[in-house]
Amino acid sequence: MKGSMHISRRDFFKETAGATSLLAFGSSIPAFLARSASAVEAGQASRESVLVVIQLSGGNDGLNTVVPYQDDAYHRSRPTLRIGPEQALKLDSSLGLHPAMPAFRKLYQEGRLSIIQGVGYPRSSRDHDAAMEDWHTGVLREQVLPGARTGWLGRAVDTACDPGKTDLRGVFVGEIKAPFSMHTERVVVPSIKSLEEWLPTGASWSDSTRAHDSDPLPSASTGSSFLLAGVRRATANARLIQPRLIAASHALHSQNLAAYPPFPLAENLATVAQLIRADLGIRIYFVELGGGGIGGFDTHANQAANHGALLRELAESTSAFVDDLNHDRLLDSVLVMTFSEFGRTLSESGRRGTNHGAAAPMFMIGGRVKGGLWGAHPSLTDIEEDAPKFHTDFRRVYATVLERWLKLKSEKILAPGFAPLDGVLA
Amino acid sequence: MRPDLNDPAWAWAPFQPDAARPWDLRLAAHLYRRAAFGGTWPELQRALSDGPQATIDKLVNPKPGAADFDRLYDDYENAAAASSGYGSQAWWLRRMIESPQPLQEQLTLFWHNHFGISNVHVKHNASLFRHAHVLRQRGMGSFEALLDAVLAQPAVWICLGARDNGRRSLSESAVRILMEQYALGPGQCSDSDVREGARALSGWIVTQGELRFVPGEYDAAPKKILGQEGDFDRKALVRILANHPATGHWLAQKLVRWFISDTAKASESLLAPLAKQLTGDGSTAKGVEILLRSNLFFSAEAYRQKVRSPVELALGIIRPLEGRTGTVRLAADLAGLGQELYEPPTLQGWAGGLAWINPLTTLGRMRLAEALLAESGTYEGKLDPGAVVSRHGQTTKDGGRQFLAELYLQGDLAAETLAAVAVAPSTTGSTAARSADPRQIAAHLASLPEFQLA
Repeated sequence: MKGSMHISRRDFFKETAGATSLLAFGSSIPAFLARSASAVEAGQASRESVLVVIQLSGGNDGLNTVVPYQDDAYHRSRPTLRIGPEQALKLDSSLGLHPAMPAFRKLYQEGRLSIIQGVGYPRSSRDHDAAMEDWHTGVLREQVLPGARTGWLGRAVDTACDPGKTDLRGVFVGEIKAPFSMHTERVVVPSIKSLEEWLPTGASWSDSTRAHDSDPLPSASTGSSFLLAGVRRATANARLIQPRLIAASHALHSQNLAAYPPFPLAENLATVAQLIRADLGIRIYFVELGGGGIGGFDTHANQAANHGALLRELAESTSAFVDDLNHDRLLDSVLVMTFSEFGRTLSESGRRGTNHGAAAPMFMIGGRVKGGLWGAHPSLTDIEEDAPKFHTDFRRVYATVLERWLKLKSEKILAPGFAPLDGVLA
Repeated sequence: MRPDLNDPAWAWAPFQPDAARPWDLRLAAHLYRRAAFGGTWPELQRALSDGPQATIDKLVNPKPGAADFDRLYDDYENAAAASSGYGSQAWWLRRMIESPQPLQEQLTLFWHNHFGISNVHVKHNASLFRHAHVLRQRGMGSFEALLDAVLAQPAVWICLGARDNGRRSLSESAVRILMEQYALGPGQCSDSDVREGARALSGWIVTQGELRFVPGEYDAAPKKILGQEGDFDRKALVRILANHPATGHWLAQKLVRWFISDTAKASESLLAPLAKQLTGDGSTAKGVEILLRSNLFFSAEAYRQKVRSPVELALGIIRPLEGRTGTVRLAADLAGLGQELYEPPTLQGWAGGLAWINPLTTLGRMRLAEALLAESGTYEGKLDPGAVVSRHGQTTKDGGRQFLAELYLQGDLAAETLAAVAVAPSTTGSTAARSADPRQIAAHLASLPEFQLA
């Protein structure tokens, strides 16, 4: 194929989409390819909104992420872990970010980062698996039989897909097993470690099959060729996107793109950026920080160094991702959302760590967030079992993302009655 | 001329080859794909000389040594179940590759899909393995015995949300799944049937991962279920469900989808004879046998009318090459493509058909074919298509292109497509380069749309 690094979308469509392949499919051109082709003609890309969810596994300590650095109760409760006014990266006169997150403060100052404070849910679980299941399914456990459960994002993908059409709407990128959020019922969400490990590498064989796409199997089958037509359509689309993805995969290692820091999360987000750039019609991406299971953000002991390192990985990786997308003017179509299964206790434990808690903040990042703080920081004097109380149900945040960003009806995916939040997205 | 598919007498009559439908490599490979995850060259040649019915005899009848094989693999899988990771799945895949009775494994997978029990909820490898063991041991027998044995294991109760308090361990929505999704088919139970069914199932409680009967929690009062009255308990409920005509019909429909076609809509009258076989104490093996022997199975309605699941894709690459390959990594790769064994997405099983296919999974499937067949790398080049070409005395000229196409696709390719397999695109001023590497040829064949169909 044509040399790798800088195959632009325009070149790509000139070569491959022009006179031959798209015409061969007539009216069966998938919407995203047709749109891209017309966008190339119009000289601009018009894109569907994309959601990127980052899971912080283990229960992130919200109080040392968005720090109430002037709060007496905070200082009293955390003799060794507290972050004082001189270290906190100030957002306003009472709140600041953890000192390992200058990258997030910069995004905050640029108006690209919203912090939704005090997020949780009634009678929230402090058990990792149960709490994570609540966040993953977006419904309360007793409402759906275990075997009938799906992830809230999986339902969004199912809703956005027409199974007979071989659509692709969601992808998990990471080394661990795909978390349950992306669990679908009707379509497949691929789990990808990296494009390098996913794409065929061998010689790109000339695609002679294309000339015969309308031939039935030579078995003179009189049955329906519906399945063969579907597989051929997906294969033709795969061959169309393959050069773009290979170019993207090569570009990942080129010097010209925004520099990503050497973190696993950064690597996964770089892969997401390449998939977004390749414009495959994927609406929902999911990545993870912390290792999926126990560990990661589950900082029961000696929290300070571990937590700082994870927050640095989060902030710097996400910020590089933002720069990368911004470089190609793609940031306006992308929204990043973080979540964790719970926050942690106000009090420091004897082992210089914190235990499982409840409410915590969520970050929303992108070109079209409103920026700033949303909602009050939870009180540290009116607490429950040593943890801040929530004021905003996480399903309202989900509804915000579904309704206002992905333009999907949230009551079909969550349940009726979760009003989207005003003032988070611009 | 197209036969009348709604004529049950024709559809279920044993297939007799004739001039219009000769017994050829295509139909032999079709049989092996559906009943054995794919056939080797010697198996296909033997089938050609034995004829269809004798070949089916061989596929359905127990082999000497099969019981020993199963015991050995039970031990392997039991040991693997003690640890986390892909060990259990890897052993099942290995069993599918090596089993002297691949039809039993195909049917085990069918039942796994039918019950939809997932370790995501059970969270205990050994329990899932015990569930699968029941499916393997009982899956060929009567549905009554199978359902009874499945319900004697905790895994299904956990996935249905059994609670360890109260007289009714299962909620009514769970009982509806059990009665309809597992047996009668959708829309066959009234609310009252479900309530009474829940009473029949009372007393069974899961504690500490084990299913126990607590007599004090059992509601022994008479019940009325599906028009029958009596003091029915769990066993009686299973008997009522398994003997209900709707159950045979529902199972027939699911078996036709599994073994014959992802898309065919079989009419009630067409399904009736098969449904009758599957009702009550009729054995599933016999039902599958009727199905495999039938005109319908060898008709155009069935031929290439299924999309290979990721498992079937991998097995379809591996088995014809008479080799074996590492299955731990394979289990992970298949999970990435959407089919993790022991973790079907919901109680409905995998959606199947075109749901497996989108542009990205298509690329991932191509990569898997390439990786399985590469000389080195992840799968260490254990499969060797070149050796298979030579072993069967076929011409190795041109990389055994013609032979590999016959082995993998039995002439279901346009001549132009075959000629262009593993041909690099011509660049200006040079002629197109045709690869003579059997590995590259096989990988390209397995990447073609036609190969994605079973």
